[in-house]
Amino acid sequence: MTFLLEPHPIDPAALRAQLASPDCGGFVFFEGRVRDHHEGRVVTGLHYEAYRELAEKEGRRLVDEIAAKHGVRAAAVHATGTLVPGDLAVWVGAAAAHRDAAFAACRELIDSIKARVPIWKQETYADGPSEWVEGCACGAGPDRARRSGP
Amino acid sequence: MNVPLHGLLLAGGKSTRMGRDKASMVVGDDGVTQAARALGLLRKFCAGVWLSLRDGQPRPAGGEGVPVILDSGEAGGPLSGILAAFQQSPGAAWLVMACDLPFVTDRVLARLVERFGQEPGQPFTAYASSGDGLPEPLCAIYGPSALPVLRRHAARGHFCPRHIMAEENVRLLSLPAADSGALANMNTPGDLAGAAGNRDIHLAWFGDLARRRGLREETVRVKAATADALLREIEQRHRLGLDERVVRIAVNDEFAPGRHPLQPGDKVVFMSPFAGG
Repeated sequence: MTFLLEPHPIDPAALRAQLASPDCGGFVFFEGRVRDHHEGRVVTGLHYEAYRELAEKEGRRLVDEIAAKHGVRAAAVHATGTLVPGDLAVWVGAAAAHRDAAFAACRELIDSIKARVPIWKQETYADGPSEWVEGCACGAGPDRARRSGP
Repeated sequence: MNVPLHGLLLAGGKSTRMGRDKASMVVGDDGVTQAARALGLLRKFCAGVWLSLRDGQPRPAGGEGVPVILDSGEAGGPLSGILAAFQQSPGAAWLVMACDLPFVTDRVLARLVERFGQEPGQPFTAYASSGDGLPEPLCAIYGPSALPVLRRHAARGHFCPRHIMAEENVRLLSLPAADSGALANMNTPGDLAGAAGNRDIHLAWFGDLARRRGLREETVRVKAATADALLREIEQRHRLGLDERVVRIAVNDEFAPGRHPLQPGDKVVFMSPFAGG
């Protein structure tokens, strides 16, 4: 299963072809595109930055995990660099014998990428300086395992 | 009521992971063994100082001439040593220290002693570990009222002082800010290599943290022995708003828990919450 981090523009055609298989009757994909507004402000552009070494590792891990969990074929690609509204930022796809598993896996893929892969985005606004978008802290927090005594 | 404060250095551990006696090891560049260093600290605060050893165990280097209290065998692990100390002097309070805490300072012990002086009736006076917030039982004061509590737990087969303190809802002290890594201990040869003083760590910054820091990469010379101690050390220097509760840590391009020990030359990344998609 594949996870790619590529400079904008990304082209999911190869991943789509990779997921096609005669035993898969259901194929679900999700495209995340750049929105032209955020919290009431006009967004003119987005810049994605990734911690590549870790993002590629974690991305591959989560695609493999979700593929195994749902018994699907899965792939994903996320863009880096500067995008404008309407551009494709992320693409995830899941193919399975039946549609239920494909839908569930596709949903989990995009949610997990947002929570687990070290990528950050900076928005540029029509009415002011650009800002880094505050991420969701849901996957955060230090490991709470305790150290052992002597 | 004036309770005498005695010092107890716990050196009866088997040092299994280290592969050799931790108390006899020299950590850092002051040339003294861990036992000698800890005994020196205890002497600054205690009227008398004792070494806790297992029966038949040789005295650690640096512990010459120090009176020994042998483990009672009543319980397992460090609790045995503490119970044996109370058996010898039930009316005393015991400032207990493990022999593998090379970063403990005068300041760290002074705060314990000061708090105990204010509340000598408390069974336990202890710090919260900076990593997990749990009680740190092996750099703590056990007042005379701790003895019945420890005995009660031991009778029920509870021998872990950390669990006992946690169950007793001990009100914990916070470490002095300058000593936030003071209770990191040395269990493996890797811990030890990292403890030998300052080390160079490579930092990389991304997203908003790169903006706040004003650069994307740097090499820093730090004292921190663990990833979370490094976070606090860097936060203290630059005031970036690094919050341990939300920042995730990577060491050498892999997610790592805060307690991850650092080696010279490690690459560390502190990551603000992710915002992909």
